[in-house]
Amino acid sequence: MGGRDTDIVLLDENGIRSDGRKVNETRKVTIKAGVLKNANGSAYIEFGDNKILVGVYGPRDVHPKHMSDTSTGILRCRYHMAPFSVGERKNPAPSRREIEISKVIKEALEPAVMLKGFPRTAVDVYMEVLQADGGTRCAALTGASVALADAGIPMRDLVAGCAAGKAADTVILDVNNEEDQAGQADLPIGYMPNLEKITLLQLDGVLTPEEYKACLEIGIDGCKQVYEIQKKALQEKYFSTGDDKNG
Amino acid sequence: MASSIIIDSLKKAHILELLADGKRLDGRSLEQPRELSIDVGVIPKAEGSARARLGDTEVVAGVKVQPERPFPDTGDQGMLICTAEILPIAHPTAETGPPTPDVVELARVTDRGIRESKMLDMKQLVLEKDKSVIGIFCDNAVTDHDGNLFDVCSYATTAALNSCKLPKYEMQDDLPVKIENETTDPPITTLPVSVTMARIGDYILVDPNMDEWSCLDARITITTNSDGNVVALQKGGHEGFTSDQLIKCAEISVQVGSKIREIIKEATKGSN
Amino acid sequence: MSHDKNRHVIPGEVITTGSYRSEQNTFTKGDKIISTVIGLSDVRDGSVRVIPLTGGYVPKDDDLVIGKVVSHSAMSWQVNINSCYEGMLPASDIFGRDFSSHSDDLTSKLDNGDLIAARIVNADKTRDPLLTISGRELGKIDSGELMYISPSKVPRLIGKRGSMIQMIEGATNANVTIGQNGLLVIACDDSNGLIKAINAVELIEEQAHVANLTDKVNEMLESKSE
Repeated sequence: MGGRDTDIVLLDENGIRSDGRKVNETRKVTIKAGVLKNANGSAYIEFGDNKILVGVYGPRDVHPKHMSDTSTGILRCRYHMAPFSVGERKNPAPSRREIEISKVIKEALEPAVMLKGFPRTAVDVYMEVLQADGGTRCAALTGASVALADAGIPMRDLVAGCAAGKAADTVILDVNNEEDQAGQADLPIGYMPNLEKITLLQLDGVLTPEEYKACLEIGIDGCKQVYEIQKKALQEKYFSTGDDKNG
Repeated sequence: MASSIIIDSLKKAHILELLADGKRLDGRSLEQPRELSIDVGVIPKAEGSARARLGDTEVVAGVKVQPERPFPDTGDQGMLICTAEILPIAHPTAETGPPTPDVVELARVTDRGIRESKMLDMKQLVLEKDKSVIGIFCDNAVTDHDGNLFDVCSYATTAALNSCKLPKYEMQDDLPVKIENETTDPPITTLPVSVTMARIGDYILVDPNMDEWSCLDARITITTNSDGNVVALQKGGHEGFTSDQLIKCAEISVQVGSKIREIIKEATKGSN
Repeated sequence: MSHDKNRHVIPGEVITTGSYRSEQNTFTKGDKIISTVIGLSDVRDGSVRVIPLTGGYVPKDDDLVIGKVVSHSAMSWQVNINSCYEGMLPASDIFGRDFSSHSDDLTSKLDNGDLIAARIVNADKTRDPLLTISGRELGKIDSGELMYISPSKVPRLIGKRGSMIQMIEGATNANVTIGQNGLLVIACDDSNGLIKAINAVELIEEQAHVANLTDKVNEMLESKSE
């Protein structure tokens, strides 16, 4: 991650990034809730050029039975990239990276979901990356929260995701793929906006203590912006009269 | 996978009742497929892509192109591999983990339909004989399952390949190097299209949805090319067909197939 | 904060603050009462709850449900009741207390795919909900049209003291069995009546949250069928 030679200008003299954004601007985010027919809840999210489809099933029976918990429902997450989602075709079998990201997203959602009321069941969250362009785990997490709410899974809060980072010695918000490859740090964050808790945090790169604080601050602000889009997606589906479809 | 879906008795009775009148639960006639919509270029970063929706079944196909070493006995041809996966979002019974026999069958039938029809002229995909050829992958991801995945994967794949753009490469010191910002159209010779039919009792139904799939006795998938020739066949299900029924199925697949071919052509117009 | 009107809320949104009792689909943090689901908040008599607009059916004792038999063991049938838990119907419920797994064949009474109207006897979450089909209007369903609606819309379909569903039955001559789990069966001899009843149910499901729904349904039922 980071530091590869490139002739892309990451930040020009006017403070404009390679894709035309300012340092504290996120890419364009759009979310649509309830896009799949079979899944209990679903969401489609475009975060910049990332395109991710999330489906939720549950609460439902756990198989094999020994994996179920008699005192609570369990959350299972799968982050998976389609073979055609990245530059060089990816083998469909799960990679170690996907397995790790699945776990990290699960642990970002667990503080939000309330499954004690559904003992012996599982809630399955499946995130499919159809096109990747840096920051897929934050986008997948964002979509997953919307899909869980769409499925009616009780939650303490939504979880919004956005990464902060550093490129050309400057703290930036929402690192895209180019910036991830050629930049100096990438800090994905998952945040519950009403409870004000960070539930996903990772770092690739080197940050001074000041840069770290600045990244957290700008990243949380990015998450709050993303949360507004999550809210809008749910309001559009459930609260606009006349075009309601059923969950 | 289909065997674990138990259809309720009222619905099954309705389906059989309606068939006697030449009708189906969703109002279609026996030889009528569901409405098909195809969008190409849905994954702009891939070399080609298409999303096909047949009723409530949806598949996204993505084409990736990269230089490969050829197989030892076919050094004068490019490589083409088509796959298919039922994503766990597509259906409550879809599993993660290694593919089940149903999924393997789907992938192999999709691949055969494209390969046997010789949709792409593989001889035009050579960079340097026996050393470097163009490898084309078309991967299908089923995102929503309401029956008849064979046909939707066939349409998504044909549309994605027909509208893809191949990067141009030049050989430098025996290695293929991509020439930036230059692409070429794929060498398309024909457009293969599959039509799947189910037999329920004595009735033949085109494009069975999930409900009909759960009560079929036998099924056949027939792939035809632009000349109306049969290029691939796959029979499935627990019961059999008479040869008269199979001949009728082939006739239906040419007729229905040609209409679907027009939809695919329309959707990929302007791509090449 | 205006809390005398129902408000649209999503998970994590604060409904109100103060000393209220936190009821269904809410939790408290300090003095804030927060929603856990997408729905309509309902503040009354010192308590706060949220009526969900989505989510599956949670089995409750005495609920009437419609289920589909999906398998059986030696002693019981497993029934899909459109919930996170599968219902269990003991063989003794049909065969009586002298049921013997050697001489009594379960599939002779109920086979996979059969639909039943059942009542939930015991919805204790540590085991699968226990069902019974002995009772008035319970038992195997042999005919009719099966429909699915979101369980959250069932109260609207039934109406205050059954007013909405009675209006539909009256206008169409249909007999409707509604399961609290979102499944319903419409039995009607007249095919026009059947179509009208189906359309009415679909209209209610689509517009359950809209204000003058009763009038709209009434209008639809009274219009001449095409």
